[in-house]
Amino acid sequence: MSNADIRARLEATVDPEAGAIPMFVYSDPDVYRLELENLFGRTWLYVAHESELPEAGSFVVRRMGEQSVIVGRGDDETVRVFLNSCRHRGMRLANEDFGCTEMWRCPYHGFTYGSKGEFLGTLIGAPYERQAYPEGLDKEALHLIEARVESYRGMIFATWSLDGPSLDEFLGNVKWYLDIVLGRAAMEVVGVPQKWIVPSGWKLPSENFCADAYHTATAHSFLARLNLVEGVDFGRDGYHVDPGGGHGLGIGVHDPAEGSYFPASLEAEYGRNLDPEQLDLLHRVKNFHGNVFPNLSFLIPNFIPMGDQLVSGMMLRLWQPLGPDKLEVWSWHLVERDAPEQWKRLARKMYVQTFGVSGMFDQDDTENWEAQTVNSNTALTRSDEVMLHYGMGISAAPLDDFPGPGAAYDGKFSEAAGRTFYRTWLDAVLARSAA
Amino acid sequence: MSAGPAVDLETRLAVSDFLVAEAAALDERRFEDWLGLFTDDVTYVAPVRVTRRSGSPDVVDEITYFDEDKQSLTLRVKRLLTDVAWAEDPPSMTRRFVSNIRIIPIPDEEELTVKNNLLLFRSRGDEGTYDLIVGEREDRLREEGGELRICRRRAVLDQAALGTKNLGVFL
Repeated sequence: MSNADIRARLEATVDPEAGAIPMFVYSDPDVYRLELENLFGRTWLYVAHESELPEAGSFVVRRMGEQSVIVGRGDDETVRVFLNSCRHRGMRLANEDFGCTEMWRCPYHGFTYGSKGEFLGTLIGAPYERQAYPEGLDKEALHLIEARVESYRGMIFATWSLDGPSLDEFLGNVKWYLDIVLGRAAMEVVGVPQKWIVPSGWKLPSENFCADAYHTATAHSFLARLNLVEGVDFGRDGYHVDPGGGHGLGIGVHDPAEGSYFPASLEAEYGRNLDPEQLDLLHRVKNFHGNVFPNLSFLIPNFIPMGDQLVSGMMLRLWQPLGPDKLEVWSWHLVERDAPEQWKRLARKMYVQTFGVSGMFDQDDTENWEAQTVNSNTALTRSDEVMLHYGMGISAAPLDDFPGPGAAYDGKFSEAAGRTFYRTWLDAVLARSAA
Repeated sequence: MSAGPAVDLETRLAVSDFLVAEAAALDERRFEDWLGLFTDDVTYVAPVRVTRRSGSPDVVDEITYFDEDKQSLTLRVKRLLTDVAWAEDPPSMTRRFVSNIRIIPIPDEEELTVKNNLLLFRSRGDEGTYDLIVGEREDRLREEGGELRICRRRAVLDQAALGTKNLGVFL
């Protein structure tokens, strides 16, 4: 389909405010091409957590869109993000998942770059370099291609848009909630991310974490079947929040009389990092899911008893697109750095058992996303659009006494933030705003 | 290269038969039989594999794909036996090939270290596709009541990004 045709089809069919999304957008190759160009090529993208870059020279290799990037802490301690591509012939510079280095040297012709991305010369040395390039090499022009980098509460983001909104503006209202999830204490990534391939379009898991509390009672009903929870309340009680900007989240809460489920020994640190209203909400958290537009999800899973303690192993998720109907899941387990060792051990165990590639919850979700993707591919052959229903909570009014910013709804059963996700997505894909 | 202390033929056969029977229990979805092959104090882990330059370790034990004990394995099996374990219902068709068995007796202990290769074929649906899950398992076997039992399993898979949509199958 031509660009004009695909734009016209999107404009005619995607109607988030009416709760109507056509199925083809899940995995359409033309839509995907626009997404890479107009969305992933411009918006802020999560690349790493600060704890993954512990010292000068530390680096991790990540992707922005499909492009490989190096996220490195320079010898001046500043974190920079470079296209993982030599300026000479485009060869990949870093070919391992992470490491620590003073410089990146291209394995093809020896073009070498310092930790600030500066071109240093070629491996073979100055005399030969002068023979090969008697007119000299323009070091400025050979500087690595560098993205714009900003961070919030330990989360490092990058964008190719050098003059778009700041990260602060981009995150907007969702910051108040990220404070509770990732800013309540000094957090650290445990080990490395699990990575696995799922034959699904990237938007399906993103919108699931953004605005789908309703699926838990069906997709994860084994919880109730094995008496690990009572009924479906674990999916309903709490708040659905549409903070705007395409971000979205749901907060499951419990009776405040039960007291906080989080480690008591961290209470002082939580109190230093959160304002009283955030702290009050933390004390009631039973589960906490959400998505930072476009594809970074966060989750404090439902606390589950392990021995005589309630435990939850939190995570960050990146739904990394590798094609219109293929994604790589990146799943990081994070924990409070100064938590008791016992809490850390149990939280990690709970995370691995319930989420991640073998997780008893995750398994069922990947099954859904794959089958939806397959169906959306077959939708391409129809002349009539297959329209899907995104109308949950469409007539509900937001609470007027909720302490956090954005539109918060009583109970998690709403797709309000999902509708805003698709509105933000559509505007970005059609390049109608800087996203 | 030393193969370590000699292991008698009878032990070799017993270990080989045991691992083959274990694989059959999983492929035939006799999960409760399978659970019975583990000791009550079993630990069952699968560390995450990463891509590193040679000379750097490419196995990360700090985080794993499985981090199980008898209780959690039992919960996983109970889940599979419900009618709402969607990821494996309809079930994958699996075939496990266990080979390259190396037995290393542990001096002064009644346990054996058994390294073996796992080739796990998994197919779902009707599109002619399949996943291969491949790795090395380092098991510890112990005799209980005259029967071999697994008291430790550590499976190291040979992919840095797993090419299967979930580990809804046991390693």
